[in-house]
Parts: sequence; C-alpha cells; structure tokens
Amino acid sequence: MAIKRDKKEEEDGGNPFQSLDKTSVLQDARTFNETPVEPRKCTPILTKILYLLNQGEQLGPAEATETFFAVTKLFQSNNTLLRRMVYLGIKELSLIAQDVIIVTSSLTKDMTGKEDLYRAAAIRALCSITDATMLQTIERYMKQAIVDRNPAVASAALVSSLHMSRIASDVVKRWVNEAQEAVNSDSIMVQYHALGLLFHIRKNDRLAVTKLVAKLTRMSLKSPFAVCMLIRIACKLLEEESSGEYADSPLFDFIEACLRHKSETVVYEAAAALVNLRHTTTRQITPAVSVLQLFCSSPKPALRFAAVRTLNKVAMTHPTAVTSCNIDLENLITDSNRSIATLAITTLLKTGAESAVDRLMKQIASFVSEISDEFKIVVVQAIRALCLKFPRKHGTLMTFLSAMLRDEGGLEYKASIADTLISLIEGNPEAKESGLAHLCEFIEDCEHTSLAVRILHLLGKEGPKTKQPSRYIRFIYNRVILENAVVRAAAVSALSQFGAQCPDLLENILVLLARCQMDTDDEVRDRATYYFSILQNQDRHLINNYIVEPPQVCVSSLEKALMLHLMETPEEVFDLSSVPLAPPPLSDEVQAAPTVVQEPLAALGRPAVSKEESASDRLRAIPELSWIQGPLFKSSDPISLTESETEYQVRVTKHVFKNHIVLQFDCTNTMSDQLLEKVRVQLEVSEGYQIVAEVPCQRLACSETSPTYIALQFPDAPNLTVTNFAATLRFVVKDCDPMTGIPNSDDGYEEDYMLEDVEVMLADQMQRLTKSNFGAAWEEGESYSELEDTYNLSGINSLEEAVRSVVSFMGMQPADRSDRVQPDKSSHTVYLGGMFRGGVEVLARAKLAMGNSPGVAMQLTVRSPNPDICELIISVVG
Amino acid sequence: MSNFFNKLSNFFGIKKKSVKVIMIGLNNSGKSTIVSLLKNDSEKSPEIIPTIGLNVEHFKYQNVFFTAFDMSGQGRYRYLWERYYRNCDGIIFVVDSSDRLRLAVAKEELYLLLQHPDVAGRKLPILFLANKMDVREALSSVKIATAFGLDRIKDKPWHIFSTNALTGEGLQEGVEWLTEQLCQTVA
Repeated sequence: MAIKRDKKEEEDGGNPFQSLDKTSVLQDARTFNETPVEPRKCTPILTKILYLLNQGEQLGPAEATETFFAVTKLFQSNNTLLRRMVYLGIKELSLIAQDVIIVTSSLTKDMTGKEDLYRAAAIRALCSITDATMLQTIERYMKQAIVDRNPAVASAALVSSLHMSRIASDVVKRWVNEAQEAVNSDSIMVQYHALGLLFHIRKNDRLAVTKLVAKLTRMSLKSPFAVCMLIRIACKLLEEESSGEYADSPLFDFIEACLRHKSETVVYEAAAALVNLRHTTTRQITPAVSVLQLFCSSPKPALRFAAVRTLNKVAMTHPTAVTSCNIDLENLITDSNRSIATLAITTLLKTGAESAVDRLMKQIASFVSEISDEFKIVVVQAIRALCLKFPRKHGTLMTFLSAMLRDEGGLEYKASIADTLISLIEGNPEAKESGLAHLCEFIEDCEHTSLAVRILHLLGKEGPKTKQPSRYIRFIYNRVILENAVVRAAAVSALSQFGAQCPDLLENILVLLARCQMDTDDEVRDRATYYFSILQNQDRHLINNYIVEPPQVCVSSLEKALMLHLMETPEEVFDLSSVPLAPPPLSDEVQAAPTVVQEPLAALGRPAVSKEESASDRLRAIPELSWIQGPLFKSSDPISLTESETEYQVRVTKHVFKNHIVLQFDCTNTMSDQLLEKVRVQLEVSEGYQIVAEVPCQRLACSETSPTYIALQFPDAPNLTVTNFAATLRFVVKDCDPMTGIPNSDDGYEEDYMLEDVEVMLADQMQRLTKSNFGAAWEEGESYSELEDTYNLSGINSLEEAVRSVVSFMGMQPADRSDRVQPDKSSHTVYLGGMFRGGVEVLARAKLAMGNSPGVAMQLTVRSPNPDICELIISVVG
Repeated sequence: MSNFFNKLSNFFGIKKKSVKVIMIGLNNSGKSTIVSLLKNDSEKSPEIIPTIGLNVEHFKYQNVFFTAFDMSGQGRYRYLWERYYRNCDGIIFVVDSSDRLRLAVAKEELYLLLQHPDVAGRKLPILFLANKMDVREALSSVKIATAFGLDRIKDKPWHIFSTNALTGEGLQEGVEWLTEQLCQTVA
C-alpha cells in the first residue's frame, strides 16, 4: 500500500502539496473546531497551511484570524506532534491575524510546564505574538527561561529576546544579568547566543562593550562560536578605536592568540579577521597567512575553500604576503572542487608574474564552462585586474574574454565581461581596435538589451575616432534591422555619431537615417528625424552642441523645472541653462575596479535623485529661503568647521544658486548639561557679499543636530566671489539637568564659540561638464575670450598629484581621459570642461611639465564667453 | 439502537465521555482557581495569575472527561469569549458574590451571552458558581439568582451554587449537577 502511494506521488512530481488550493485548505481547517480533536487529521491540515504560507500565499486579516482561532482550539489535544505544529502555525499566522494575544496564557503555561518538548517552541511562539506593551507581563518568565538548565529552552529564550529587542529594547535591556549568567553556561549553543544578546544590548555603549570583551577574553570561553563572535566584536572595536596602531592592543593579542585555538572554526575566524583588519602590516598578518596556507592542504573541502577565498581577497591588499602560498595554491588549481580551483587560479593571477599569465589562462579555459556564473565573475574580475597590471598581455586576455562572451551566461556575468572589455578599450589605446571588434561580434548575438545598448553607445563614442570607422557601420545598422525598439533607438544614436564626426561617411549615414525614419517605433523615428535634420543641415555648431556634445542636464531636475515652468510662466521661453547639470560619473571607479563591477548595474536600479535635488527640496521648504530664484546649482559636501571632539560641532554645506549662496550650518550640541537656544552663526562677510536672509535654530538640546541657514548674495564682479568669511557661533546657554534635559531656570547667558573660516571656493561655483570631444569644443571656443598664465606649483612632486589637485581645485571635469598620466613622461596636458553658476560654459587647458627645479610648472589657458570668469579663474589659481 | 447503547453504557458508567465546557465570568472572580482545584493534584499549577487570552485545561469527574476553556475575564479580552461559544457543550459562569459593585456588569455580560446566536437557540446547561462565599459581605446564591433574573431563563437548564474556591466547598455539587446535565444532553 505504502509503496503504491509512493509511486503515485512520484508520478505527480513527488510533491504531495503541489496542487493545494487556499480556499479548500482553509475549509479543511474548520475541522479544528470539532470535538474531540483528531491529531491524525489536524496535523496534515496544519502542515498544508504552513506550506501555503511559506510558498508566499497571502491570507487576508479576516481569513487569518478565523484560521488562527481555529488553531487555538487545538490546545485541547495533548498530542505532542500536533502541539508543535500548533506553535509553528501560531508563529506564521501571528503576523497577519488579529487578537493573537489570546494564546498568551496557554503558551506561558507550556513554556513553564514540565513537558520539555514544548518549552523552547512555546517561547518562540510566545515572543512572536507579544508586542512591546505585553512584554512586561511575560518578562518574569523570560528571565527564568534565559537561565534555564535545559539548553534548548535557554537558547530559545535568548534568541527570542534578541528578536524582541527590536520592538522593546528597554525591556530586554533589563535582562542583562540573566544573559550574563547564561554566558557561563556549559552548553556551547547557549553561551554563543548569550554573548550575542549581551553584545546587542550593550552595542551602543562603547565602554561597556570594551569591558565585556576584556572580561571574556581573559576567561576562556568553551563555545567556539562564542569565541568567533568575540573575535568579530574585538575587530569592530579595533577598527573603531585605533588609527592604525594595533601593536600594543590587548585585543589584537587576543585575536592573534586565537590562531592557536584548538577549534578550526576559531582559527579560521581569527586568521580572516587579522587579514581583513584595515591597518595590519604585512608582518602582522604573516602568522595568519601561514595558518591559511596550512588550511590549503587540509583534506576538508570547506576549509580549503575558506582559506583560498580569504587569500584571494588578501591578494589585493598584501600581495607579497600571499606570494609565499603560491606553491600551495598551484596544487589547488587541479582541485576536484571547481570553486576552490577557480579561486586558487584567480589568486595566482593577482600575485603572479607576467610570464605565468598564459599558462594560467590555459588552465582556466579548460574548466570555465563547468563553474557557476558567480565564479565566472570572479574570474572576469581577476582578468580585469590583470589587464590593468600587464597592459601588454591584452591580446591573450581579450581573446579569452570574447570566448567567454560567446558562452551561455546570465546578464550579470555578461555585463561584467562587457565592463572589463570597455574599461580595457578606454584604458589601453592599443587594445581599442580589437576590443571594439570583439564587442561588435558580441552584439550580433546578444540577448540582453541593456548590454547591447551600452555597447552601441560605446561604438558611437569610440568608433568614429578609429582608423576605419566605416567597418562598424554594418554592425550597427544590422541592429536597426534585427533588434527590438530600445536597441534600434540606441543604434540610430550611434549611427548619428559617425555622421557627425566622419564627414566622408555623412552621405551614407543620411541614407541610413532616412530609412530609419520609416521605423514602426515612435522613439526610433523621433531620434532618426532629429539626427537626420541636424546632420542634413551641416551646421558645425549645431552638430557639435546637439549630437557630439548633447546637453547633459539632470533628467529628474529637468522634469521638475519643466513642471514649474508650466505652472508659473508658460508664456515665456524655457531657459535650458537654468537646469542643473547631471553629475558626470566619477572616474576613479576604474581604479577600484575589481570590487565595483556590480556597481553599474546597481546604479541602473537606483532612483536618480541627486544630492542637489534633495537639498533643493529641503531649502524650498524653509519659508525664509524659498524666494531665492532659480534652481539649486550645486551643493558642496559638508565641511567641518570645528575639531572632531569639541563641545559644539558645526559642519557647513554650501548651496550655490545663480546669484545667491546659502550656507547651511549643521550644529551639534554634545554638552549634556546645556540647552542651547537661538543658535546662529555670525559671519564677517567680505567686500561685495551681502547677507540677505538668516534662519537661526531656536532650540538645540544635547546630542541633537539641527541646521541654521544664512543666505548671501554674490558680488556682481566674479573676482570678488572667491573669499573667506570669519565665522563665530552665537547662542544662549541654559544650564539643565543632564538626565532630563529640562533647564534649571529660564535665564540663560549669551556665549560665543569661534569657528574656522568658511571658504567660498572656485569649485563651489563650478559644475563638472563632460566633454566627450574636447577638441571640437575647444575650437568652438575660439570665439570666446581667452586668458593664459603660467604658474609654478610648488610642493607638488608628481604629475599625477598635480592633475588631481588642479581638477579638484577647479571643480571641472577632465575630458578625453586626460586625467590619466602616462607613466615615465615629464609633461602632460589636462583638458577640463565645466559650467560656472548661471550656466556659463568654461573650458580650460592645463599644460603641466616637470622641470629641473622642484615643483610642477603649469601653463593654464581658460576660455569662456564671459571674460570676467576667465579673469577670476586665472587670478584664483595663483 | 446506538443511542440506546450509549445511554446504557452511560448508565453503567462503562464508556468514557468527553465534553467541552467554557469558563467565563468577570476578572478576579476565581475561574482559574476553580479549574486548578478540579484538576489532579499532580498537575496543579503552583500559582494563579491573571489569565491573558485563555487556558485550556483538562480534568476528569467520575467517568466524564472535561476540557475546560478557561477564558480571561479582563474587560479588554471579554469580546474574545464568543469565538469559543460554538461547539461547546456547557458553560460555567463564575460570579464574585462579594463584588456587589460589579454585579450589574456581570449581569450585562450574561445577557450578551444569552443573546449570542451561537448560544441562544441551544439547550446548553449553564452552571452558575457564586464564588467567594467565605467573604463576610458575600451575597447568597438566592440573592444573586434574583439579581440576575435567572428565573427568566426558560430554554436552558441552569443551577446556581455557592462555592469557596479556596477550600473547594460547593464545587463538587456544582460539577456533579453539570455532569448529570451533560450526560443527558450530549449523549
């Protein structure tokens, strides 16, 4: 009979719950109301309900409540199996059903009763139905349970307390003595859970945590899990407290001592902790690395995996330390576990010499098809790092990558390969042609729309600058014929780039675009028409400004500005220059490449709210400031005007508008016995500036942070705008009771507090503007006014440093990747694009040279339609 | 035939019967204490605390196996009683006979109970326990019956007993009456 049933189940796919229907199961649940309760009938029904809930079936509050009350009637039965299912049912239903407190007494009874099988589960169910107000009524039982002799009960109580602390942390805090006692438990599980709770209760109190760790490191904990936890806490403390000196710290000694613990788990945890600490020196991690090295030859795959994975990470920060493990890693290349082999190879790639690359690549190629996407991404990342390290090897690596591109794989995997290829193309001029060819081939057969669009965009950007632009056109036009609308639109845009930048291809491009105007999709037709009419016109200025260098406004801000425009002044012409620019992506992304491969993908999903936009919303909400005209041009990052550990802390954020600057001072009061009132910042403004509005902060209690604002009008002459203001914090102090925060009397006294100067810099008034074709823009700018000067940047000793400081000082965006200095050269030219507040374009060219004298010589040429701005920049740079 | 057999076996007390009763009454009237007295000594809970929600208890009287739903009497939980009216075989209504002030509240609750659709049409036996008879100013069971207007309950068998849940006095008689009634109705 049983065999028969098994067979039938197998035929159905093996899952007896597969075709459950919510309504009929809930109907069945009415059986629970019958007397006498039949455990044999009720247990499977409960199982079905749980199954449905875990499959994501949604119950309405009424259904859930009905079912919940039916379940409560099952308490009549003393069948242990059924009772344990009841606990699970209560836990699941407690989230949706109402009046779940009805079972409080029943569960309390089970939790304190004699039946050990019930107790732990009853505690968990009880905590799931209890809210902050009811917690006090069961507090006594929880305290008892935490110190219960039965480890399962104590653990259940500890873990439940941890969950409860989310909703009632102050009640759980009172259980600290019990938790303390549980730490001394003989059970390894209880000890671990107790330490977890204890740490959670105290985690906001640094001193208490330090004491806890100091005490526990001295007594030897029995539970290896607890020791692991202690190591993690110790690491956290180390990271927080010291600024790079671990040498004398007892915590560090403790972690190091754990390397000799008898449990492998602890040894691994300690080793991983040591190598992951931010400021460890190579000498300090040597013992940890040798432990990991030992694990590499362990017969246990889990240990080998853990060790090689950690070594893989360390290879980035301490390559030399890992080199000593190379022989062991070599042995792991042929490990039967592919994950271990992959990590071993990629680690070797990171630390290995150039000569080993070919051999290792061949080794990976032999099994790359057998590993999962996740590990393929690890391989790709390693290759990416390798490309940056050995540019000469790009041929081998690129072929390998394109072979990987052709294989099956998910979007994330393909995206990481494409990212690597793109960064290769951008970073290494030699690799450009062959890289583009690989990508062209890839989009011929690419099922991921987003990737195809990115590659088409890249082709449009880089293709026209190659020796033979015409060869890419076929690939791009094929997309127009074969792909979906989104890709077609991207292909049209890419085609237009060729038309704009390669005059000899213009004729052909126009023919192709004309054909695209017959497309079935609106977007594609619109784009084709747009580009066609501009290109046909052959006006260089139009082509430059609207195809080669399209306006880079922030899209969400544009939408807002247009809405505002329609509501307020629809009859006037919309001024595009008033819309803030989209911030260009940060270029240092490439340096940190191996860790941020996922970032482009993540960025796609992120709603595009810029720093400016959120600040703008906040400022508009303040009545005294809402009249300021125009959208917010730029917000600076907050700058501290005080030392980090003073009584009062002030940070300034500069919000720049077209004609005004709003200074936002975020003030923090750290004095527990003082209440500050009428907090404001007094500025000594320099010539030309005018204070137009001021918003003081009326009340600032201890450990609160609150803003006060000052709005200033810019001087008319730009060369007065870059300056310093002396600043003083002024406020009325009322002494108060540190515990309650209530002032002792109504009288206060005035007080001043000196702040550092507020600087208004050039970079504050400048937005970065990406010029993808700087040459054309620079020629365009010949009609602008131009100023030139030569400087000697003393105190700067390398070209890279010079480039960095010039870029950050001017607040402009380097174009054409001119911020990358070729090594071993003595001169370099940076091209910079930016937009001054009010929407005035600024272009700059800085020629840098290392001479015989110390420092770097710079010749700076600035072009802008407004001569005053040129003058400002030239004078300020000095 | 089977009915006859049941009656016969009941008469001889051969077959064990199981019944479900619900204990209600205002808070602090002694419901949980009464239940704990009825249970075997070995299972007695050491202390009685205000019930939150409900407790399900089992006890045996003669050959009848009782499952008692001991409900919380606190005002904010009383609306939960009605969820357990259906499928119960009998009701034990506990009154604190020394609490004259809240006698009206208890009466109100009783009438809500009697009007409830799950109770109204059924011939449910109701056992009234006028508890705390040991307290000096306690009302007699007769007085409570009058105050509640119990004589107006025509469609259900009922009885009232004075009890003292501290000593157990009067409880036996009450439960014996209920058992008798249940044997007749549930059969």
